[in-house]
Amino acid sequence: MKFLCVPCDSPMKLQTVGPPERGSLSIVYSCPECGYEIAMLTNAYETQAVQSLGVRIGPEKSVADASGEANASAAGCPFAAMIPGTQDVQPSRDHSAEPAPVRWTAAAEARLANVPAFVRPMAKAGIERFARENGCLEVDEKILDAAREFFGM
Amino acid sequence: MKRYHDIVGDGGSGILEQVAELRGRITDGLAGVRHIVAVGSGKGGVGKSTLTLHLAGALRARGVRIAILDADFNGPSQARMAGVHGALFVPGRHKVSLPRTMNGIAVFSMGSVIPESEALDFESAAQGESHTWRATREFALLGEILASFEWGALDLLMFDLPPGAERTVQYADFLEPLKPRVSFLLVTIPSEVSRGVVARSVAALSKGPNRLLGYVENMSGYYCRDCNAIKPLFESEPAGLSIPCLGTIPFDPELARHCDRGLPLAELPNTRVGRALDQIAQQLLDSLESTTEPSQ
Repeated sequence: MKFLCVPCDSPMKLQTVGPPERGSLSIVYSCPECGYEIAMLTNAYETQAVQSLGVRIGPEKSVADASGEANASAAGCPFAAMIPGTQDVQPSRDHSAEPAPVRWTAAAEARLANVPAFVRPMAKAGIERFARENGCLEVDEKILDAAREFFGM
Repeated sequence: MKRYHDIVGDGGSGILEQVAELRGRITDGLAGVRHIVAVGSGKGGVGKSTLTLHLAGALRARGVRIAILDADFNGPSQARMAGVHGALFVPGRHKVSLPRTMNGIAVFSMGSVIPESEALDFESAAQGESHTWRATREFALLGEILASFEWGALDLLMFDLPPGAERTVQYADFLEPLKPRVSFLLVTIPSEVSRGVVARSVAALSKGPNRLLGYVENMSGYYCRDCNAIKPLFESEPAGLSIPCLGTIPFDPELARHCDRGLPLAELPNTRVGRALDQIAQQLLDSLESTTEPSQ
């Protein structure tokens, strides 16, 4: 979908994506010529249709950096992964009955990002379980390599 | 006034570019794969997954480098049958490593990470309207999996397709950019109902430039261990499909037991089923190496 400023005959640029709210995104476009702004407000089905493609919605890098508004807070929103900066935000849970938390080194975290987002939480939980079973409360690259070896990968 | 095609890009997200980028990552990730065989049917319960796994085992025994992608995300069975349901998806420096069976077959199955007591679920605000978006979401996930996992150098990647003639065609469309490496192998059983459904799949696939290697008739009689003979399992008249038959496999309860326990067929040496699978494996290799043009 593209937007055109008819008086200027100029393609409009995506400026900001508002925080997801009940399945709706507020996506603001502006005309680079006259500065006129419009907002596209999606319904849940439209948002879902785009999310199902596995793509992210947001302005070009330079516009995002300039506006600083694209990184909307969206804890618990099913569309968080669509908007830059809000992925991996997990809803708060009661941790009282859970085992001791396992830390991840930066290098191991970077590797974890290679796992498709949908299966990442399951992969992460499995690796943390493997680490605990091996007496470790920190996942580093050595633990990841040990897991690969253990499972014959 | 400018029209759609006069404007470059979409003014921000670059959605088409993102889709194209994922396509490129899929192509790169599968660059070392010589052949892709999608095992489908249209009909459910005919033994697609069983055939996929044990055919892969027979091929592996011949030294073929092989992997299985269990594309039935909603009813994954390869994890249990291949004995990798407790395996982890471990990220490497660039790609995610695949679990392997005891005989060295790499297997991706959603069943490795989702317990059998749970259903595959996607978060959505379009509540109760999953028929409008779910297939798209599943294919996007399939794309991410193909792009992210370490397929490496393979002679053959087998897709274990979900049931449904229309799903088989959707996979043909999805795999279209990977042609001519993609072929289809269909599975039926000797019942008229199954043949009818599989014939529809043949017809649907034949509408496009899809390469149909042939079909396998599974549950082609019942192997009685007591009398060491094949007895009829269905009463329908023998009939074929309009594509080559690569072989027939009798139903053997021992094979079902192996599937439930995740044991390789190698533990059933020199049986009727084992020999049938071995012959089909050879037929499959011969078909793949032939120069057959896609049906059109």
